[in-house]
Amino acid sequence: MSRIQQPAAFAVGLLLISAASAQTDPGVRAGAVNGQAAATATSPLPLASVTANTPQGVLEFFADGLDRFQEVDNVSGGTGGTGLGPRFNFNQCAACHSQPTFGGSSPANNPEAAVISAGIVSAGTNSIPSFITANGPTREARFPFFFNANGTANTAAPNGGVEDLYTVSGRADAGACSLPQPSFASAAAANNLIFRIPTPVFGAGLVENIDDSTLLNNQSAQGGSGLGISGTFNRNGNDGTIARFGWKAQNKSLQLFAGEAYNVEMGITNEVFPQDRPLPGEEVLGNGLPANCLNLAKKGYPEDITNFAATTGSDQFATNASIPSDVVAFSMFMKLLAPPTPSPTTPGGATSISHGSAVFNSIGCSVCHTPTINSTQASNVTPSLGNAPVNAFSDFEIHHMGTGLNDNVSQGNAGGDQFRTAPLWGVGQRIFFLHDGRTGNLLTAIRAHSSNGSEANAVVSNFNSLSAASQQDVLNFLRSL
Amino acid sequence: MGARDFVLAGLLAVASAPPPPAKVPAGVILVKGAWSSASDSTTPVPEAGKVTARDYHSDYFQLTYPFIEGWQQKFAGPPPSDRGYYVLAQVEPVGEHSGSVLIDAQDLFFTATPAANAVELVSYTASHLRADYKVEHPPTEVTMAGRHFARLDYVSPVTDLHWTVLTTQMRCHAVQFTLTSPDPTVIEQLIAGMQGMKWGDNGPLCVKDYKKVLNRVDPILTDRRFNSIPVRVVIDTSGKVKFIHFISSFPEQARSITEALQQWRFEPYVSNGKAVEVETGILFGVQPNR
Repeated sequence: MSRIQQPAAFAVGLLLISAASAQTDPGVRAGAVNGQAAATATSPLPLASVTANTPQGVLEFFADGLDRFQEVDNVSGGTGGTGLGPRFNFNQCAACHSQPTFGGSSPANNPEAAVISAGIVSAGTNSIPSFITANGPTREARFPFFFNANGTANTAAPNGGVEDLYTVSGRADAGACSLPQPSFASAAAANNLIFRIPTPVFGAGLVENIDDSTLLNNQSAQGGSGLGISGTFNRNGNDGTIARFGWKAQNKSLQLFAGEAYNVEMGITNEVFPQDRPLPGEEVLGNGLPANCLNLAKKGYPEDITNFAATTGSDQFATNASIPSDVVAFSMFMKLLAPPTPSPTTPGGATSISHGSAVFNSIGCSVCHTPTINSTQASNVTPSLGNAPVNAFSDFEIHHMGTGLNDNVSQGNAGGDQFRTAPLWGVGQRIFFLHDGRTGNLLTAIRAHSSNGSEANAVVSNFNSLSAASQQDVLNFLRSL
Repeated sequence: MGARDFVLAGLLAVASAPPPPAKVPAGVILVKGAWSSASDSTTPVPEAGKVTARDYHSDYFQLTYPFIEGWQQKFAGPPPSDRGYYVLAQVEPVGEHSGSVLIDAQDLFFTATPAANAVELVSYTASHLRADYKVEHPPTEVTMAGRHFARLDYVSPVTDLHWTVLTTQMRCHAVQFTLTSPDPTVIEQLIAGMQGMKWGDNGPLCVKDYKKVLNRVDPILTDRRFNSIPVRVVIDTSGKVKFIHFISSFPEQARSITEALQQWRFEPYVSNGKAVEVETGILFGVQPNR
């Protein structure tokens, strides 16, 4: 390079740096939790008709569900619930689904990183995996492939099941059960380790109550041609209808979602998933769990059941809401939760948010992140769930997201690179983004939509064509949600 | 310790250090959902076009599209969809981002849009543009590089992004060039660059819904996937299926359908008094929403 050229190159470098930093993610939106003045960090709002207790008694079910969502489970005995383990990720739903309030996603302080200090696991038998950090996202881990006998990944043998982080071994209430943790370090060394963070469940009842025909009609009207977009639906293998919960839309209903999470994340057997769950390798390649790790709660299976005793009117089970199992209570809590309320002015002001919304639509983001799906079916649960718009910013389809986001895990009809369009309602107060929580920066998350094989490449290209001011408006708009 | 135990030992933490593991390759989709495949690897298919630093070439469409100076493909597109939609290439400037060219194709045998040809497809697009856009020039027919295209121009008033869509028809596909830029002069440069395209026209005749089937054997789809499986077949002059292209299917579905189609017999397609090869589409699985 000649000396004359150097200043020009320097100037270009400065310009690039300036352009790169001109627009920034405003960060987690301050102010009312979920945009709702009456909500608190421990008390999310139910739907309006639930607040009005319509039908009579529904509010009690919401309160009971919220209460059980916070229940701390032991292996056996003690106060609270029992049935934890023998393997688990945490001992309480609300701990991981807590940002910005219960029912949300990863909090700022990761409870999974504090399990030893909190006495939830034994330091003698468990260690904190390297990918679980104090201020990182709460995560579940999966190994996309089984391993060969020599410890190498066998890419001809897909796995993809959850590898629970911790075991009950060494806990005083776990008897002689002795189980090692999965070898996360070996899996990481083999690049055979992926993560998922909790999906928020605000407004989930509205999503559950969308008729398939509404989703199919939305798909037909999308017009993704010219943008490289053509999604499909993940369908339930039993009846062929559209599944819609989970990162890959692999779960059909909230009850299934709750039952699976109770079993997989907490190790608690229930009426939906009645057996204690071995790790995928123990199940497929081994003999399951050892006998001394079964029935640790000493009450038989499933550990969570319908509370028959409630019908006797005992003090312990004195209300209608206390009769159903925890899984039903969890699904009822999720079903009755209100969706977040967007802010019209924060961050950046009303003009910026309004412009950002229009830009979001114009460049094609809204083809997949459909702002509103009109509308839900009539509801037999509570009026707010019926004939209502669903402002979830999702089409609930699965889309190819390319090599950059691919996790090589198949669930239902979704392949390794296919993910459900993540609903964006409430994204303004989320801390971590994308399925594995790899970033807390919305701009990074947007750009991560682009890679080889992604349906979003043209839309991200359109985003990149925008002025810095318009990109900032999009970020402000997203943080207003 | 049995073989199973060895596998478990690889999964679980053990006292002794495990052998150095081979890595799962990064950036490779190994676990695929429904994907495209074909009965042989030599017959051209739409998704197998090649992108170099200078151009995009498709043996299937016999198309070569030269990139204008300083533009390249940054990322390859997704696999074909279960509605027969292909992203063939996407080109952007290497330096400052000033726009993009998206080349895609819609198999007209399987389109969800009520359009029988490229002109109708562009007309439908124009009449169904969302409120976010304003038509600058309604659909018109133009000739570029010796080929007829339908052209549509529209703009997003909010972003000042301009789109020009140029669509032509090849082998019963609407092949579409979507040019996007905030600067109309960039779009004009891109249009001028398209004059350098080269086209052939030697593929088999394509016929929608060629239903003269003399012997039909239904495939046995054992897994309940509930997906649409669009398939293109080439039928030879004797009425046998010569080539099968699964636009979107799971591997076990492709195996079952191949086994069935190999037993199908069609009445040979006759053109100008002579039996000719013909390409048609067959949909297996569930009917997509249209």
